[in-house]
Amino acid sequence: MLKINELKASVEEAAILKGLNLTINPGEVHAIMGPNGSGKSTLASVLAGREEYEVEGGSVDFNGADLLDMDATERARAGLFLAFQYPVEIPGVSNINFMRAAVNGKREHEGLEPIKGKAFLDMVKKKAQLVELDGRLRNRSVNEGFSGGEKKRNEIFQMAMLEPELAILDETDSGLDIDALRIVSDGVNAMRSPERSFLVITHYQRLLEYIVPDFVHVLVDGRIVRSGGKELALELEEKGYDWIKEDIVA
Amino acid sequence: MDNAKPQLMDRPKAEAKHAASETSGAALVSALDELLGVQADVALDAVPVPHRRVERWKYTPVAAWWKDVLASEVQTVAAAGCEANPVPGLDAYRLVFVNGTFDAAASDLPVHTGVMCMPVSQRGDAPLQSADAFSPEESDWFAGLNGRYSQEGLYLRVAQGVELDRPILIHHHTCGAGVFNVLRHDIALGLNASVKIVQWSTAAAEADGAVNVLTRADVGEGARLHIDKVQDEEGTVRHIAFEDIRQGKASQVEVHTITVRGAWVRNDLAFRINGQGAHAELNGAFLPGEGEFVDNHTTVDHRVPHCTSSENYKGILYGKSTGVFNGKVFVRPDAQQTNAYQQNANILASDMASMNAKPELEIYADDVKCSHGCTVGQFDSDALFYARSRGVGLEAAKAMLVHAFIGDVLKGLAVTEVRLEVEHRLAEKHGWDVWSDHLNDDA
Ligand SMILES: Nc1ncnc2c1ncn2[C@@H]1O[C@H](COP(=O)(O)OP(=O)(O)O)[C@@H](O)[C@H]1O
Ligand SMILES: [Mg+2]
Repeated sequence: MLKINELKASVEEAAILKGLNLTINPGEVHAIMGPNGSGKSTLASVLAGREEYEVEGGSVDFNGADLLDMDATERARAGLFLAFQYPVEIPGVSNINFMRAAVNGKREHEGLEPIKGKAFLDMVKKKAQLVELDGRLRNRSVNEGFSGGEKKRNEIFQMAMLEPELAILDETDSGLDIDALRIVSDGVNAMRSPERSFLVITHYQRLLEYIVPDFVHVLVDGRIVRSGGKELALELEEKGYDWIKEDIVA
Repeated sequence: MDNAKPQLMDRPKAEAKHAASETSGAALVSALDELLGVQADVALDAVPVPHRRVERWKYTPVAAWWKDVLASEVQTVAAAGCEANPVPGLDAYRLVFVNGTFDAAASDLPVHTGVMCMPVSQRGDAPLQSADAFSPEESDWFAGLNGRYSQEGLYLRVAQGVELDRPILIHHHTCGAGVFNVLRHDIALGLNASVKIVQWSTAAAEADGAVNVLTRADVGEGARLHIDKVQDEEGTVRHIAFEDIRQGKASQVEVHTITVRGAWVRNDLAFRINGQGAHAELNGAFLPGEGEFVDNHTTVDHRVPHCTSSENYKGILYGKSTGVFNGKVFVRPDAQQTNAYQQNANILASDMASMNAKPELEIYADDVKCSHGCTVGQFDSDALFYARSRGVGLEAAKAMLVHAFIGDVLKGLAVTEVRLEVEHRLAEKHGWDVWSDHLNDDA
């Protein structure tokens, strides 16, 4: 599904990703862990097509297509989704209209008519239940005045609405209390399927108790320095990131 | 100089001397006088010709064409090609003016107790309000032109306590070449009277020339006047509009100015708040496209205590367009407890667009609340990326932000059908297809 080969990227002249390799097959859940500033969000942004990030080298294949050749809209319509570490507030645009524009964008890409009002509202209702999103939040401006937890639930709600093939979750656990963490994780788990893959970015092992990964990768200084099964996350939790860093130097 | 007049409100009359030397239009003026059979009771010479050295015209170049206006052929074309009703579904009384001539067949005047509503030409002996020392005719050359040449317009008197049951739609249409479309609307509302007016300007694709509209309104104690003013003119007509508004005690006046389309547009609003407890509201949205020019000048003159004014102008500038905003707020020494708010926010949607924005607050009273804000920026790139990462196209994402940005101004329009039609026309002009959907939900 996704094949990243020797990806190098910079922002404002600073090299952040320094030759990153990663392959994700359909149905797999991969976790990327790493210390703050190691480039996790940069990877997510580069994959989602944020233009401020300059790709300096390497390639990314997404279902046989050159991902780096598409703009952000095209990537989303091709089935890529990014749950933001810091969801953006858009005053004056209601959550529901925002989602309708998103759903219709995808439908246009698939050659379908815009969705009918009733069908759309039914879909919203169903998907909102998945993450127990308060009904009132649907009519409020996108993320405006939402609590940290509400913003993260809204991200997962949007993911459920768009049914991506590959979802990248960037620190979806940050700022969540234990109940919210469970709700969000249940929402994600409900969407797991043999066709859908996840890239779960997190700083802490805690999330991976709820969303159990098939593979864990450790990102340090723009490169994946170690990969393993879910037990690698436990080892990291126990020994800390310094252990890996020392390990690399040694 | 007239000593009785406070210096405070002196508009650029003082500049008349040096600027008047630029005038070479006298011969043209007399030719036009003859053509129109006008008695020259408004002396244009006393007013400075618009020039960039005159503050009010600093960002609004007219040197290349102001004389053309005087050389116009005055046409009185009947309703040829005029849109039947520019606002679908609007249930309103109508006065249609085509190239400055009243089109009776296309109009529908109210028959309503306590309401005198007719074209100026049919008012009989009823007197027009005259300009005074503070009227725009005294300080602005184009307004002077209006004062000298306008012969037609709406004549409206609403008696004490009368609330007109439907809005009055004034439709100005311009067509043909070299047109000089001059109108003056004369409105007076009695005690607690209330009326909504829609001023809608259109022009045909081949139209060129000038549109010059002056609206003078005297709003009595407790009266309410709401004006939705929409400019959607094709062709190359230059549109200049003045509002000369005098507010009595506890009156409320709102003017919402939406410029959908227009090669060259200048709006000049002046509110004089003469009675305590009055409220003035001035909102506007302008979205000039390639090559278009839109200028909004406003003056709110707080002369008495305990009044409020609120002003909100939003601009989004596309292509190689230019915008001007100048917002004057005067709070005179007597006007204690004034609460005046002014906001002007602009988005440059293109690298080639430019915006000249200038708030001017002159506050001579000490116990007042006045705030103003003025911004010129770009689309929020975080919001655009966020929307695109959900599969929304770049243009659709921008359209969404545009709607959010000017939504408060559009919601302020007094007549719902006007808002819907404005949204429709904006979407059409800019090629936004997500818009109409969005809007119905909000309603
Ligand atoms: N937009 C940006 N402008 C400048 N520097 C950035 C930007 N985004 C990220 N960086 C820098 O890139 C590095 C990696 O950041 P990031 O990818 O956010 O790390 P992580 O998500 O792993 O904490 C950091 O040193 C950060 O300061
Ligand atoms: Mg991060």
